[in-house]
Amino acid sequence: MTSRSPLLARLDSPRVLGYLLITPAAIILLGLLAYPLLLGIWLSLTSATIGKPGEFVGLQNYATIFADPIFRGAALFSVFYTICAEVGKLILGLALALLLNQRFRGYRVSRALMLLPWVAPTVLSALAWLWLLDPQFSAVSWLLIRLHLINSNIDFLGSGWAARFSLIVVNIWRGLPYFAIGYLAGLQSISKDLYEAAAIDGANGWQAFCRITWPLLLPLTTILLAFSSIFTLTDFQLIWTITHGGPTDATQVFTTLAYQRAITGGQLGEGAAIAVSPIVFMVVLAVFVVRSVRDR
Amino acid sequence: MSHPDRRRFLELSAAGIGAGALAGGLPGLASAADVVFKPEKDAKLELLRWTAFVPSDQVIWDENTKKFTAATGVPVSIQSLAWGDMAPKAALAAQVGSGPDIIMGWNDDPFVYPDKLVDMTDLVENMGRAHGGWYDNARSYCYDQDVKRWVSLPVGCTGNAVNYRKSWVKEAGFAEFPKDLDGMLKLSRVLKKNGHPTGFALGHAVGDANSWTHWILWAFGGKQANTDNSIAINSAETVNALEYARQLSETMIEGVAGWDDSSNNKAFAGGKIGLTMNGISIWYNGKKDTPDIFPDFANVTPPMGPVKTHTVSNNFTSAFIFKYSKYPNAAKEYMRFMLDKPQAERWVTEMKGYVTPALRAYADLPIWTSDPNITPYRDALASAKYDGYNGKPGKAAAQALDEFVIVDMFADVCVNKMAAKDAARKAETRLATIYKRA
Amino acid sequence: MRHVILSLSKGLRIYVPLALFGVFLLLPFFWMLLTTFKSNQELLNTPNPFWIYHGTFAHVTDLLTQTAFLRWFANTLFVSVASTVLSVFVSYIAAYAIIRLRFPGSEVVSMVIFLAYIVPPAILFIPLATIIIQLHWFDKLWALVPVYATFLVPFCTWLLIGFLKNIPRELEEAARIDGASNLAILWRIIFPIAVPGLISAAIFSFTLSWNEYLYALVFMSSSGNKTVSVGMTSELIRGDVFQWGQLMAGALIGVLPAVLVYFFFVEYYVAGMSGSVKE
Repeated sequence: MTSRSPLLARLDSPRVLGYLLITPAAIILLGLLAYPLLLGIWLSLTSATIGKPGEFVGLQNYATIFADPIFRGAALFSVFYTICAEVGKLILGLALALLLNQRFRGYRVSRALMLLPWVAPTVLSALAWLWLLDPQFSAVSWLLIRLHLINSNIDFLGSGWAARFSLIVVNIWRGLPYFAIGYLAGLQSISKDLYEAAAIDGANGWQAFCRITWPLLLPLTTILLAFSSIFTLTDFQLIWTITHGGPTDATQVFTTLAYQRAITGGQLGEGAAIAVSPIVFMVVLAVFVVRSVRDR
Repeated sequence: MSHPDRRRFLELSAAGIGAGALAGGLPGLASAADVVFKPEKDAKLELLRWTAFVPSDQVIWDENTKKFTAATGVPVSIQSLAWGDMAPKAALAAQVGSGPDIIMGWNDDPFVYPDKLVDMTDLVENMGRAHGGWYDNARSYCYDQDVKRWVSLPVGCTGNAVNYRKSWVKEAGFAEFPKDLDGMLKLSRVLKKNGHPTGFALGHAVGDANSWTHWILWAFGGKQANTDNSIAINSAETVNALEYARQLSETMIEGVAGWDDSSNNKAFAGGKIGLTMNGISIWYNGKKDTPDIFPDFANVTPPMGPVKTHTVSNNFTSAFIFKYSKYPNAAKEYMRFMLDKPQAERWVTEMKGYVTPALRAYADLPIWTSDPNITPYRDALASAKYDGYNGKPGKAAAQALDEFVIVDMFADVCVNKMAAKDAARKAETRLATIYKRA
Repeated sequence: MRHVILSLSKGLRIYVPLALFGVFLLLPFFWMLLTTFKSNQELLNTPNPFWIYHGTFAHVTDLLTQTAFLRWFANTLFVSVASTVLSVFVSYIAAYAIIRLRFPGSEVVSMVIFLAYIVPPAILFIPLATIIIQLHWFDKLWALVPVYATFLVPFCTWLLIGFLKNIPRELEEAARIDGASNLAILWRIIFPIAVPGLISAAIFSFTLSWNEYLYALVFMSSSGNKTVSVGMTSELIRGDVFQWGQLMAGALIGVLPAVLVYFFFVEYYVAGMSGSVKE
């Protein structure tokens, strides 16, 4: 057998090697992430403004923002936005995955092309969407008018709810491919035998989906949804570029309001509090995900 | 013009260049005697400015900078960012205590972190004396009343004027553009009837939404705060302004509540609207992009309301120097040089009056009268008020502007169909929170 | 006759929904394409926005010659590839340690990784900047690489944990019986099997790095260090005048590398994710 020096054997023990292998990640995350994260949370507990550290004020910032109707509105819309977008992305992503899971001419190209929305930098695709959502110049409006489906240009962004739904649509557009590709992978890992057995038992397509496909995709769903929700809840660039939080703060979300107060307004403490406030959601989400995945 | 090399870091390569400029005397270059603020030894500067709105601004500014380097031996590297992206950079510089020496920022930026900024009093007084004094607006945006000193050097503003289509105004039965707001409303109604609606941004458009709403508010005598910073928005004058705006909004094109800063430019150039308010860019770009309708474009000083004076709102830009800079004298000398006659004259002229200088002397430049459509922009600062009028410019006003309090008040009335009194009250509550906290 | 019915039904089942998805997902890109080649005048006034009456290449040439687009492109490529390599490597060995070596504290690590996304970059950049400046990393393009790793490593580790979980232990046991060290198993046995998962993580990382905006804006200052998104918005958005043609041209060219990567690796990507979620 091989003879190793005692030092190497030591290094190779699960314990020691484990810590060694974790170290690079730990350095990056502890050094560059944990410290700023804690600092960010600390900021929310102070009266800091740009250039002035301020003093410790406990939960006062949180009390202030919870009393602020604009913050409450932003919180509500953030959650609404996230729920709608996630549901949309899940359903449409799964549908697209089911579609792309089949063999047809051009399926490879289709798979690659369908990814474009997710792959394009948000700041630039948002500019393209500005044109498609324009009250005067939208090509979509133009087409629908030509097809005699509507009479006048659609005002996509000119009122609270229209703007909100427009943003949700753009978010779904951007995130759909991420779900589609994830589900595509998941679908391919389901054994064909299961479907054959179901067919023999007389199950139709829908039943096969409900009894086989969906349950087997649940763990994947949990993971896809968990990470996507966090990114949607803290979405910034898409909303900032398209509506800048307007009209009349109808499309403010946590991050846009936080950025506005902290960076352009100089109120670091309050802005940090706004940014950190969804933490409760996130912690709950984290615990839920870890537990549900662990239990399997 | 082609700029393959965007890196504008200019090094004094051969000592000969500097020596030649000082000794040989190319006309127009500052000689050693003209230097007012002696640059520190081995000084080098970093300027962060907003991306020029017109290419000629950039070209001339860079040329002038080269001249400065040749004259003083101080290299200057310039970074440009979209004007909306300046805020995080400036905030960062102030917060972490390092970054560019000079930042050319906007409106109340310097008042957010005044104690991080170098005292500019000597520079401001020197330049005021040399160039006919400053417009009042300059003091509003650069003199901090809390720390009681000049914290920034006024540069100028991107002025606002009313832009309209000559033929459509004539068609509506007006031989010349109305001088007061009542006339403008009458005109707008006819324009709308004729299929050429007006368009003023009511969304969170940083420039365009703030410009016209403040103009109307002040034109009726409304104001945000009093000189002691008590909130003054909830008044009969404000309600009148809101009522006027509501009627004006009925003459507007659909979708203005979702407009950003580029929307009215697009709509005007595309012939969808006949009347709007904007900086000179809307007119300037017409020559290149829409040459066939360009001759029909016209600009005019915004009409007056019941207060019977012009009450324009502009975006003011000023240059501030951070205390962490190792070369504040060099920085001051650089800005003095750039805004000095030989340099600024060319700069303002080449960019067709894009920036209205804050120094009164430059109002005499021939560029302003070279075309009647440029003249309204010359006077933008003379009749301007400042955001937060009539309160103290400072953090509170900066925040109120960022939060679009005035814009939202107008939008509540025009878009959300709120009663004017209620909208004014809501704005009062918002302002009270902001002013208390600041 | 049966043939016709079958292909009709295939058309309905596949091609119609596919077309609908295609229109929804690709319409903005089609718009980018049109805008790239339309003159400014036509953009604002045209009888048919879906057609190009007077095409022009000027936007593309202006973008490539009058801006530093190629430099930005190179910068973004460098940062994306480097941060991908770093993140995938770091995540792989960390995931291996957590899953295969089961050292104490692995559960806590799994959960904590998830919490990495709690404070969004829109606020996080301020405290992060303090560290960057203290390390003298400001305005150094390569510094973006470890910075990006902060949001790439958590997800990639999670992804790879899921993937490695499904690799049968028998392989390792057999290798261990043969006297292989853990380290050798990591590289010689598990690594080759993990390749689809690694490619999957790599593609995810590359995409997120390529699209990042705020850190690239705030931590770099020289024009030579700008990335594609930052460069384009800073130089082609001039106040209220947007250079639409060039912006859209850049958007399209900017999307190309990622599309190429995906086209070649999408099969691996799919296999990678599927390995990760097996029970």
